[in-house]
Amino acid sequence: MAIDRITLTVPAKSEYAKTVRMTAAALVSRMGMNFDDVDDVRMAAEEAFVYAVDTLPEDAEVRFEFSVSDDELKIDVPLGSEDPSSDEEADRRAAYATFILESVCDSYGFESDEDGAHLRLTKRVGGADVD
Amino acid sequence: MSIRNNAPHKQTRKLSWDKAYTRELFRRYRLNADEAARDELITMYLNLVKYLASRFRNRGEPVDDLVQVGTIGLIKAIDRFDIERQVEFTTYATPTIVGELKRYFRDKGWAIKVPRRLQELSFKVNQAVDALTQKLQRSPTIAEIGEYLGVTSEEVLEAMETSEAYNFVSLETDRGGDGGDSFSILEYVGKDDALMAVVEDRTTLSAAVGKLTPQEQRVLYLRFFEGLTQTEIANQLNISQMQVSRLLRRTLKVLRENIVRD
Repeated sequence: MAIDRITLTVPAKSEYAKTVRMTAAALVSRMGMNFDDVDDVRMAAEEAFVYAVDTLPEDAEVRFEFSVSDDELKIDVPLGSEDPSSDEEADRRAAYATFILESVCDSYGFESDEDGAHLRLTKRVGGADVD
Repeated sequence: MSIRNNAPHKQTRKLSWDKAYTRELFRRYRLNADEAARDELITMYLNLVKYLASRFRNRGEPVDDLVQVGTIGLIKAIDRFDIERQVEFTTYATPTIVGELKRYFRDKGWAIKVPRRLQELSFKVNQAVDALTQKLQRSPTIAEIGEYLGVTSEEVLEAMETSEAYNFVSLETDRGGDGGDSFSILEYVGKDDALMAVVEDRTTLSAAVGKLTPQEQRVLYLRFFEGLTQTEIANQLNISQMQVSRLLRRTLKVLRENIVRD
């Protein structure tokens, strides 16, 4: 099945959270996701954004790659290596992101490859929440 | 002159707050019109302003601006505080500072940035979600909401964002439901209930969860621990789906701001 890729690059500043949320929401609403799931995607995109911003230097950019197919949205966000905080702080952040993402996504993972760490998540149409 | 004279003093005082000294400063300012005492009080409570301002971040306004706005509230509170009243200054100042921040968002974030058409549409989307959920017995798609209202999907999405802009303004007004307009998050710190026990193994969350109202805790619990959908929670608590959505988003913001401190 065809996969459309959409890339969005925004400055790593919190005021762009809305842009990210709305882009993600616009993509999944086209896929016919229901109101609950669209709201989940908005949350997931925002959490991913906030998480990525925390790992990047101030003047950096956050690049979101959305992959849209008939029945699912995948989001790929490269993370920076910046970690100004203590390990404890990093643990807290990770625990929080985990908590949210596992609730609003069908799957997610922190993965490393040759060009660094990525946060990847998936939301399916009529996925985990639908019985 | 007072500011300069005071500068080194500020440094040490900032670290060690003490009640008697605070009262003395207020007395000096009130009775002797001692401006240096006022400046010192402002510096002393700047952390309170920073804390409160940080709760409004991620809403598109630079934190520095919010701290400035909050500081205006702090100065008002210092000028109006009645030292004869047996109430802690922080208790008195907090609603004033938060009020100033809310007014700022109301003026800037809502009244100016959000056109009237969108305010109305946001309200209609809210009603449409409820009506369609009833009719279809499931959560409607964005397209269905748009069709029902005769607007595009994009307009529905914009309205969803708008309802949050509105939510920021009313951030504290229905907190707990009994405190009226008073800011009472600090009262919730340490409040314990069943949720806390469940959250215990996710220890990083427990302190932050204590800062939520009982209703927010319930929604959080149903959504993230029981795994109910927003629609199911809305039915269970007899509130609208949009309210659940707002409660969740607000709850997550409170959690994030308390867990992810910078």
